[in-house]
Amino acid sequence: MKTTGVRSGLRVARLTNGLTVILREMHQAPVVSVWIWYRVGSRDERPGITGISHWVEHMNFKGTRSIRKDDLTRRVELAGGTWNGYTWLDVTTYFETVERGALEEMLRLEASRMTECLYSRTEVERERTVVIAELQGSENDPRTYLDKEVTGTALQAHPYRWPTIGYLSDLRAISRDDLYAHYRRYYVPNNAILVVAGDLETKETLRLVRRHFGRIRPGAGLPAVRTEEPPQGGERRLTLRRPSGAAYLDLAFHSPAVADPDFATLLLLDGILAGGPTVNAWGGQDGRGPVKSSRLYRALIDGGLASEVSTSVVPTRHPYLYRIVVTAKEGIDPARIETALGAELQRLGRGDLQPRDLERARNQFLARYALESESTTDAAHQLGFFETIGDHRLFLDLPRRVGMVGAEDIARLARARLAADHRTVGVLLPAGPSAIEAAATPGGPAR
Amino acid sequence: MSAARTVLGNGLVVVARGNRAARSIAVRLVLEAGAAFDPPGKEGTSALAADLLDRGAGALTGQEIAGYFDDLGVFYSAGARRDTLEVEARFLSEHLPGVLERLRILVFEPTFPEQEVERQKGLTFTAIAERDQDTAATCEMLLAQSLFPAGHPYHAPRLGTRDSVRRIGRDDLVAFHRARFAPSRATLGLAGDFEPARALEMAAALFGPWAGAPAVRRADIPDPPFPDSPVVATCSIEGKTQTDIGLAFRGLRRLSPDLPAALVLNSIVGEFALGGRLGKAIRDRAGLAYYVYSRFTAGLGAGPLVVRAGVAPEGVRRALDLTRRTIEAVRRRGVSTSEVSDSKQALASAIPRRMETNPESASVLADAEFYGQGIDYPEKLPGLIRAVTRSDVEDAAERYLTLGRHVLVVAGPAIDKEALS
Repeated sequence: MKTTGVRSGLRVARLTNGLTVILREMHQAPVVSVWIWYRVGSRDERPGITGISHWVEHMNFKGTRSIRKDDLTRRVELAGGTWNGYTWLDVTTYFETVERGALEEMLRLEASRMTECLYSRTEVERERTVVIAELQGSENDPRTYLDKEVTGTALQAHPYRWPTIGYLSDLRAISRDDLYAHYRRYYVPNNAILVVAGDLETKETLRLVRRHFGRIRPGAGLPAVRTEEPPQGGERRLTLRRPSGAAYLDLAFHSPAVADPDFATLLLLDGILAGGPTVNAWGGQDGRGPVKSSRLYRALIDGGLASEVSTSVVPTRHPYLYRIVVTAKEGIDPARIETALGAELQRLGRGDLQPRDLERARNQFLARYALESESTTDAAHQLGFFETIGDHRLFLDLPRRVGMVGAEDIARLARARLAADHRTVGVLLPAGPSAIEAAATPGGPAR
Repeated sequence: MSAARTVLGNGLVVVARGNRAARSIAVRLVLEAGAAFDPPGKEGTSALAADLLDRGAGALTGQEIAGYFDDLGVFYSAGARRDTLEVEARFLSEHLPGVLERLRILVFEPTFPEQEVERQKGLTFTAIAERDQDTAATCEMLLAQSLFPAGHPYHAPRLGTRDSVRRIGRDDLVAFHRARFAPSRATLGLAGDFEPARALEMAAALFGPWAGAPAVRRADIPDPPFPDSPVVATCSIEGKTQTDIGLAFRGLRRLSPDLPAALVLNSIVGEFALGGRLGKAIRDRAGLAYYVYSRFTAGLGAGPLVVRAGVAPEGVRRALDLTRRTIEAVRRRGVSTSEVSDSKQALASAIPRRMETNPESASVLADAEFYGQGIDYPEKLPGLIRAVTRSDVEDAAERYLTLGRHVLVVAGPAIDKEALS
């Protein structure tokens, strides 16, 4: 095992089988958070097997050769813990946050999950309908539906274009053997990162990690994504009609990858437009819209055009999409919103920025950065997520990178990335009848 | 670090828990001014009042308030729940005096500017239209309307209805603030990077002079009449891909002595591991749902035990059948010793994790004080849970899993009403 770095309570090591280990001591509460990350997500799929990475994640809660299915979650909860997992563009991850005494048991559990999950045919068939139910539930939300359509239109070549949950036809066709092969290929120590944060002792924890993971054999090297999204040659537009209570506007622009120097510039650009995005894909989605002094809030919500605005900057390994999603206020034509939004984006491109705008956006980023990595769960998540998509130091270094961004950088990025001929515009308009048929309730329903 | 508590002369309870591990602070003010206290016919008043607190207060305009919070990166939010109106701020610790001072102004002297009231009502109309096309939100709304008769404080939806919101004017918000923002019925919780004694002192200096609404007796939320036979309510929302199911049984209040046993029962039925027995039957074995769970919402009034699931339209009948069988099995055959032991262990040992961060800590403490459970409730709860016996859980099942006297709600496309009988 090679120790590659120590920084402010942080220890980074690499086992001989290729497993990257990141440990962070945090003694604020008697708990530890264990996260295992795999460099596999929807980008590693192709038409025909879309959604397979996410389905594999589900299957890995179905028992292993040494841990019964029920025990995979039961043991965590008996230790006062919480658990979960998720799959996205670049990553698949599992975590347990438990009382500190259960650390070794969680390491044993994740080592077992890496090597000996069962994949019985009965369980595969049971989970097929669960995953389809998840897809159908998400499509009940018109914004999620629009998001999927806009992503697939804005990206035409890169595998980030299909939904992580997959297409229905693929979910109906993927076989048990497809799933198992995907699992065996990607769940190897040289494709994984283990992060433990919390009330731990670094040396002892490294010893436990070596005991449970050190003997796992590495797998073959994995191919990198070769396709790059070609430059967008002109504006793309789509209009959908779905059952919905409101009209939505979803704008997508091509955004830089996390390691690109412009990534920090985009964070501040968004700070000025909307108050700054979260860079915590797990604990940061707290439902807060843009801050009320931000340009989009003032132009669209104070301006009487919209009832809600949200933006997103996703840290990704490859270039992805910057999104602005607006809920139209009742009776407002989305075209009016688009005009007002366009004026704000042009204003940024002209360099209409005051030093105070920049300072406010920086302060907001720094406060959010601190508040969203405060718990052991969030701290471990952030280190693991960034390591999986590139390097954990990209996360640690964000405050410095953000501090170096100047007004001219923001204007340049706005001109380069937010121009009309580089964007995709999606509009969802309400359609379809809706009626309350019956309600045998005292007083009846109120609408 | 343990929490400190003081009661100010005006009755406001202040609790503070120091945590030097992170350079941040969370503040949460809990007021007995939730949707349950909306004036009749003007449902949605509490939600509007919460949304408007920072749109003008004292001599400050909404933009000045937003400018202050946004300059410092303060996360501010306010919202109405069923019993409470809650105001929260999260920020870096050096801003404590300034943030507390701003919160004081927002809570003492909101101005509810006419123009802002009308603007916010417009936003609420859009939110109501979205809610009414959302199967999950519609399911929750119909559950409340079916369980609690018209006129009951828990009957109306939190946001109100189009008609009720249309009727709310600035004067109504001023009157609501005058009547319901009572320090004697409020709790202020603070957690984070401070000396608790110093934080209590600071809060006392700022919130001590708060006259607010006169001291009022704790609200009396009546128990709803429970149905003698099943009540079924449906809402057809065409074009959707999934149906939301809600099944509600008798509820209990936060201070009910049954609460610890009910928590263990809920864990066994629809929470532990992958959703308790319901999760095992409906998701794990039958593959019918991505989410299925049960929950209690015990508050000032009796909140029901609710089972919720999202299933494909063609799976509704089977999911309901499995739910019924699962509940019947708990009532008729009871629960196992190992189930009781597992759920007790999980609930009792989760407290440190649930109070790890400052927002969680401030919320748990303010909530426990508000509901009269006391500042030491988080420490007492594991003992209360561990004292629950298998027989207590089975008694709770008998009392609360009132199958046959339940409310069933189904919201989604193509509802087969025969399947619901």
